[in-house]
Amino acid sequence: MQPLPTSLVRALFHPWAWRMAWRDSRSQRGRLALYAVSIAVGICALTAIHALRASVRQSLDTQTKNLLGTDVLVSSRQPIAQDPLVNLSSLITETGSETAFSSMLSDPSGAHSRLVQVRALEGGFPFGTTVDTVPVGAWQSLQEQHGILLDPALLAEFDVHPGDKLKLGATEFTVLGEVTKGVPRSNRFSGFASEAFIRLKDLPSTGLAGSQSLVFHHLFLELRPGTEAERKAALAEVRKSFSLKGVQIQTPEDRSETFGEGIDKAKEFLSITALTALVLGGIGVAGAIHTHIRRRVPTVAVLLCLGCPASLAFAVYMVQAATLGLMGTVLGAGLGAFAHAALVHFAGNSLPFNVAAMPQPLVILETAGAGFLLCCGFALLPLLRIRDISPTATLNARSEKVPGRSLREAGVYLLLFGLVWSVARLNGANSLRALALTASLGVAFASLTATAFGLMKFTRWIIRPSWPYLLRQGVSNLFRPQNQTLLFLLSLGLGTFLLLTTWFTQSLVLSQLKIDNGPSTPNLYLVDVQPDQTRTVRAVFEAEHLPVLEDAPMVTMRIESVKGLLLSAIEKQPQNASSLPEAKPTQRVPRWVMEREYRSTYRTTLNATETVLAGAWPPTPFVAGAPVPISLEQQLAKDLKVGVGDEIVLDVQGVPLRAVVACVRKVDWSKFNLNFFMVFPPGVLEDAPQFHLLTTRVPSGQTSGALQRTLLRAAPNVSVVDLTSILATVASLLQKAARVIQLLAGFTLAAGLPILAGALLNGRDQRLRESVLLRTLGASEQQVRAIVLVEYAALGALSELAGSLLAVGAQWAAARWIFKTPHAFETGPVLVALAISIGGSVLAGRTLSRSVCSKTPLDVLRQG
Amino acid sequence: MAERTLSSLVPPVLEVRALSKTYSDGDRSLTVLDNIHLSVAPGETCAIVGPSGSGKTTLLGLCAGLDDATSGSVQLDGETLETLSQDARAALRGRSVGFVFQNFQLIPTLTALENVLVPMELRGESGGFAEAEALLSKVGLGKRLTHYPHQLSGGEQQRVALARAFVRPPRILFADEPTGNLDAITSETLVEMLFALNRENGTALVLVTHDPALAARARRVVRMHAGRIIADERP
Repeated sequence: MQPLPTSLVRALFHPWAWRMAWRDSRSQRGRLALYAVSIAVGICALTAIHALRASVRQSLDTQTKNLLGTDVLVSSRQPIAQDPLVNLSSLITETGSETAFSSMLSDPSGAHSRLVQVRALEGGFPFGTTVDTVPVGAWQSLQEQHGILLDPALLAEFDVHPGDKLKLGATEFTVLGEVTKGVPRSNRFSGFASEAFIRLKDLPSTGLAGSQSLVFHHLFLELRPGTEAERKAALAEVRKSFSLKGVQIQTPEDRSETFGEGIDKAKEFLSITALTALVLGGIGVAGAIHTHIRRRVPTVAVLLCLGCPASLAFAVYMVQAATLGLMGTVLGAGLGAFAHAALVHFAGNSLPFNVAAMPQPLVILETAGAGFLLCCGFALLPLLRIRDISPTATLNARSEKVPGRSLREAGVYLLLFGLVWSVARLNGANSLRALALTASLGVAFASLTATAFGLMKFTRWIIRPSWPYLLRQGVSNLFRPQNQTLLFLLSLGLGTFLLLTTWFTQSLVLSQLKIDNGPSTPNLYLVDVQPDQTRTVRAVFEAEHLPVLEDAPMVTMRIESVKGLLLSAIEKQPQNASSLPEAKPTQRVPRWVMEREYRSTYRTTLNATETVLAGAWPPTPFVAGAPVPISLEQQLAKDLKVGVGDEIVLDVQGVPLRAVVACVRKVDWSKFNLNFFMVFPPGVLEDAPQFHLLTTRVPSGQTSGALQRTLLRAAPNVSVVDLTSILATVASLLQKAARVIQLLAGFTLAAGLPILAGALLNGRDQRLRESVLLRTLGASEQQVRAIVLVEYAALGALSELAGSLLAVGAQWAAARWIFKTPHAFETGPVLVALAISIGGSVLAGRTLSRSVCSKTPLDVLRQG
Repeated sequence: MAERTLSSLVPPVLEVRALSKTYSDGDRSLTVLDNIHLSVAPGETCAIVGPSGSGKTTLLGLCAGLDDATSGSVQLDGETLETLSQDARAALRGRSVGFVFQNFQLIPTLTALENVLVPMELRGESGGFAEAEALLSKVGLGKRLTHYPHQLSGGEQQRVALARAFVRPPRILFADEPTGNLDAITSETLVEMLFALNRENGTALVLVTHDPALAARARRVVRMHAGRIIADERP
């Protein structure tokens, strides 16, 4: 006779534990499979998101060169001096140049025109990658002949074919074909505009080169092949040679990082939904195991009587839970791999580079492993109670009472906290955010528990003997022994809370991207209107019966010093960010804030999208020689660490100008009005080189076309930005993003359904016995059903209310502290959730009551 | 006389000294067993009788190490229960104790044969199918080996429980109202089997019962009232 294992580890590997676990599952396999599904859904969401991120990352790594089309991109708003190239000749194998700007492209008659991004190129750009064109070879033809290549959309819009003519500025170009793939964008601000490619040497003939104020110049450098160290040294040399004010240098890695950060941010939100789905799955597991253990209390008690050590009895059910978790994990990982491929197929074309659904075995293994551990952790909560089952339960007639909580559970809660935190970290959140996320879930859990106990007390207090019996009986079930109130509130309530929170968060994210398209919102912008052209343009507007919504003069300038500290001195700081003398190390001024070119305006009043936060506008009249009072946008003031009264020296196209912050204002950037970081009072910038921006609102595409045709003749250098087409592009992108978010939120919903089913099954046994007793005592089927329905409707309503209350609170907190937007209570989702929750509960209660009534009292009484 | 002499020479299989059990609920306390002394010799049959609430089942549970006493001691098969951990008590039960319960307490997911095999499996013994089958045949269930408890009648379930208790003959068998859920004829059959197995294996038998006929089959009757032994008769 071998001694039985008394340690848990040995017990877990004891063959009898596995044999007994298998036998014990016999009558419960269908039910247990349901819970494996809830784990599977959670794991599926987690693995799909992680695998997607890994695929994006890998695709980025393999395509970094293609993203930029060159080893080094040197960019400037001014023509780039080529002198440094002489010294760099030993490091560079090829060079190329580009001048890019927005201009109107029209058909030769001028009847139809459209704003395009003109890219005048010279040299072999893009390097190391081929450009796909229709017809094939059109890219090479462009190098050799006068012509123009277009985005496919432009060919369709102008209804032109290779050989047809289009007009750019003063010159007609022969259409050589369309570019289908392979020319990386060198200017990130041109993202929405269709592109037209011409030779750089043909640019002067258009007459557009000199008149455009928003021109970008690019220099492409292909480095000589070498080791990584040699490449780094060469890059350092290039940076040094082009370290001029206003010159930016970008490498493929920089761009990859930019995209990667964007992807990571999107993933952060999606990860919350994945974690939510997983935690819901975990709660489902805990509920399932709890019910299972309750049904197994007599078995455990008998085993203890027959000489089974408590750890071995515990191991039997731990083995079951782990196997269940493993099955769910394997299924979830498989589904996750499939969902990953589907997501790439579905959302891949929303990204600016190709994403292949690469197999991610390691990522899937890692995330599935973490998910499995989390599910096992949740299963431990009810499993621990096995160790407290007493063999004396065999002597009691009704022995299905699961022992109460013990101190050991505190350890499991700590373990769960750690596991959820680890999974949140695995999702990419930093330690603090992961902690906040985990704590939020913990608070929700605790709040729902407290709410459940509160509701039990409340129902006990509110119930009156005068109530109809069926109602009284149904409501009383909420607080009677063996009630399901706590379990329901924790599963369905927490499910509702998590689902609504996901929904609300999605709404908040989308509301930040929401486009204000009201009647007073401009949808047509005129850029580069020279001061002497404003009268002409206004006349055109008047002729077309269009209002001039805004007319803002625009003057470019740079920051020279802040609070007496010169920009050159600040730039000497070793970090990527600059710091002011009194700034703490963590309060550095972002370098781009110091280096960028600001386009400022001057006016007396603030517009409707601006609010004064500090100081006053208009400022008091200033005297000659004193600093000019200006108004700063709040974020810029924050980045510059300046407030009202602080002095800034600006470089207005070579002329230094002393200014003092007179007003800090908040700007609603979501509006399409003309807004600026710096606003000057009139009387200062009028003589500085400037152009005007005018806005209007066109009622239709036809009006827009007519206006553009007239403008092309009256003021050919003026660029028209028709926001209606850009809005369509943005809306399409947002729609895709929203669909991906909703798809992921769907995972959470799917994870919630097995929990609902589980919670209902949990109560079945208890209600079965009670209902049979009632029927034995003379209750009709209808009465039994009514009692069950009342109880389940009440449970559904209470769970939803508790979950909704928490979710609305969470939404309020997120709106206030994370998204910093006004909180808008959304009744729609709450009412939908209420209807679904009550409807689902009642439906399930109805199914339950049907199954209760389908059994004869004798069947149940015989089973004890 | 011969039996008494033998009993005094052989150490008792169960020795209870000054056993008390009190349940506390806040300020209130309820003493359900008060200073119980009891000794059961190997092979002895002892019926514990008394009205409901007199403490019979509580005494049985304490004697089998299923619960902890408030005071006093229980020595079972030479081991003092108070000094043993829960796992050690379980091991002792696996080695020396058998049970028959009023509500049968078969494991619902195991067949009749598997239920009988459980004690052997827990002892780490492989095989045993033949013995278990033989025992089930002996109690008249040779053709119900693969039936689950819910497919058996009450009497059949109790016979499976009996086979389980005797598959490895215990030193002592505790039976809590073994015929409480059975009809008179089934009870009679079962009691016959119980005592036959007791005789064949020399197992001490401690029965808790309300049934005077069953109590009368025992060599010794312990009467309880309000948590105390009021009579210890050896008819």
